[in-house]
Amino acid sequence: MPKEILVSGGGVISALGAGKEATLTALRERRTGIAPVRYLQTAHTELPVGEVKMSNAEMMRALHIPEEEVSTRTSLMGMMAVREALEHARIGGKEGLRVALISGVTVGGMDKSERYYLDFLENDTKNAYIATHDCGACTEMIADYFGVFSAVETISTACSSAANAIMLGAMLLERGLADVAVAGGCECLTKFHLNGFNTLMILDREPCKPFDAHRAGLNLGEGAAYLVLEREDTLRRRGAEPLCRLSGYANTCDAYHQTASSPNGEGAYLAMAKALEAAQLTPRDIGYINAHGTGTVNNDLSEGVAIQRVFGESAPPVSSTKSFTGHTTSAAGGVEALIAVLALQHGFIPVNLNFALPMPELALTPATDEQPTAPLRHVLSNSFGFGGNDTSLIFSRV
Amino acid sequence: MSTRSDVYILAARQISVQPPLTDAWMDAPVRYDAPYVQAIDPDYRQHFAPNEARRLGKILKRAMLTSRQVMAATGIANPDAIITGTGLGCIENTEIFLNALVREGEELLTPTHFMQSTHNTIGSLIAIDAGCRGYNATYAHKGTSFECALADAVVQLESRRIQTALVGAHDEMTPGYFTLLKRTGYLGHAVNGFAGEVALSMMLASARGENALCRLRGVEMEYCPYDGEALRQALNRLLQRAQCSLDEVDAVMTGVSGRQANDQVYASVCSRLFPNKKLLRYKHLFGEAYTAPGLGLYAAAVCLGRQHIPAHLLAEHAGGEQRSAGNILFYNQMEGKNHSFILLSPCGK
Repeated sequence: MPKEILVSGGGVISALGAGKEATLTALRERRTGIAPVRYLQTAHTELPVGEVKMSNAEMMRALHIPEEEVSTRTSLMGMMAVREALEHARIGGKEGLRVALISGVTVGGMDKSERYYLDFLENDTKNAYIATHDCGACTEMIADYFGVFSAVETISTACSSAANAIMLGAMLLERGLADVAVAGGCECLTKFHLNGFNTLMILDREPCKPFDAHRAGLNLGEGAAYLVLEREDTLRRRGAEPLCRLSGYANTCDAYHQTASSPNGEGAYLAMAKALEAAQLTPRDIGYINAHGTGTVNNDLSEGVAIQRVFGESAPPVSSTKSFTGHTTSAAGGVEALIAVLALQHGFIPVNLNFALPMPELALTPATDEQPTAPLRHVLSNSFGFGGNDTSLIFSRV
Repeated sequence: MSTRSDVYILAARQISVQPPLTDAWMDAPVRYDAPYVQAIDPDYRQHFAPNEARRLGKILKRAMLTSRQVMAATGIANPDAIITGTGLGCIENTEIFLNALVREGEELLTPTHFMQSTHNTIGSLIAIDAGCRGYNATYAHKGTSFECALADAVVQLESRRIQTALVGAHDEMTPGYFTLLKRTGYLGHAVNGFAGEVALSMMLASARGENALCRLRGVEMEYCPYDGEALRQALNRLLQRAQCSLDEVDAVMTGVSGRQANDQVYASVCSRLFPNKKLLRYKHLFGEAYTAPGLGLYAAAVCLGRQHIPAHLLAEHAGGEQRSAGNILFYNQMEGKNHSFILLSPCGK
């Protein structure tokens, strides 16, 4: 890495609650956020989901947004998480800094589009929600709520979107193109996604069991999470405290199939190996892997193979916290990066829930004990998306 | 930064409302008098197996074909990065799935269209097609989706993380979505303007090669819905980094489209930041779309490559055609919110 990239703040909202405290408490108490459908209006009430336990109206009140204002569930969750991140890092917009917002999202304002689509086609009553449909609109709504961002970009690489946003943030900072980057992603649960994943037959009817021999698919979740990144010179000038360092990152493409991962996990292997190389670390330095670990038969085997190829038989503790949050799609890279940062800060291994039986193909048993075998110095977070867009991030103690 | 690498545009191919896969629009542009025009598709049977041609949506076929041709033209079969800008992604597949969901409910849906509905379907299919396992990213940010992709490539090329990047701008427009965007006022209301479709692939590299079209000397974006002065600073940052003065800029290409509200922003910014510059345009030939700036930049790059600016690109009252072309500043904005500046220079400079 040419320049040190430090993490100076973070914000999150997911099925585990709003904020880092709620997230940390739920992880340590092994309390999942996955539950029967409560907020999404869907016929598929048989499917467990990881919903944010707040209605849109409750989020709007929490954000002091008038109830008649046009918003989408995804942008509201994004605002909740970005607000926490900015407050945490003490960025108020008056510091004379060039602050970038880089946000990952996939279906943007689909929650409103799927509700009002017939109106969109037939009359002018819901035009405001046509304008909030696209991905960029979602990011701009978040940016405009705060008014502190002078560069605003949207990444859309499906389930690795937020991880790629964090990576871009680091690259912009290294080149001096921004002073601070608020990077992550957001995505709400929609019928569009729930049914899409359902037609692919990769949704578990039970709470998901990542890396278990009897895993039967994923549970969809929703949420938003953002990290505040900055260079050391900016951080020192501001007198801010770093939480940790983003020491390595890599983005690769599996180039295998539109919705399936390759049997040898080539893309995942390359992402992890290149991130280690960028961080100038060896596999032995990594104390914890927050896996992509969706709970599908295909992902967990492919990712497990890739982990074994990189780490051999002595892989560090691996867990998928999607057993807590569900798969938060575009937000996942942010939610899980933030969980990895919490693990590093508080010195614990977020456990893998619902594990009973190891996968027969691999010598890989997910972590069920939160006590690390050695003090955590470096942690790795994987995020893989449709199309084989694979990204790995490594966070290190300062 | 003195250590940064140069960036060149080696080649570009387009499928749009102008004749596909050629630069024929330079000499004989096709003119339209309609609010919405779909791209002129080449005969895909010549390029795809029948089952592949059927399986892939139009935006995917266009993206794959323009990418293949750029890779073939440059001899770069395995670029270090594939970076895609798309405002709406695979909107046709998205619409089909959404329509079925809304009209027929949640019980009878099939996965085909969902699988190819995400924005990154485009970039990952190009990677699968070419077997590229390098960096792969997709940007979807309204009218600056393409510039986000371009800026990512430039950042990585300049810092020598990569040496080659295939950058794309891809947007299809369906009749259904045209209706929607007409309601919001974005499309269909322009005077002498129309909604078009975009498929543009270009190869960027840090080595000039023999047939590079032009040099790309920087991309700068600014999000400033409230502050006009910030734009001047953004332009200055771009020029400073490129070590180029505004006096050395010969022409400014903008995205004026005939949509009055948006064109007024261009008029105001142009008169404030570069009052005496020759203005070029491209949307009167290529139409409006979120990633139309990709086609604009391509048009400017071709002009620099041929050292010829055809008269039909000059904004009104700007005189006749030009037999040479110096530095071109490309300025794009959407609704006065997200702005971008790109500086192009002839290869010789």
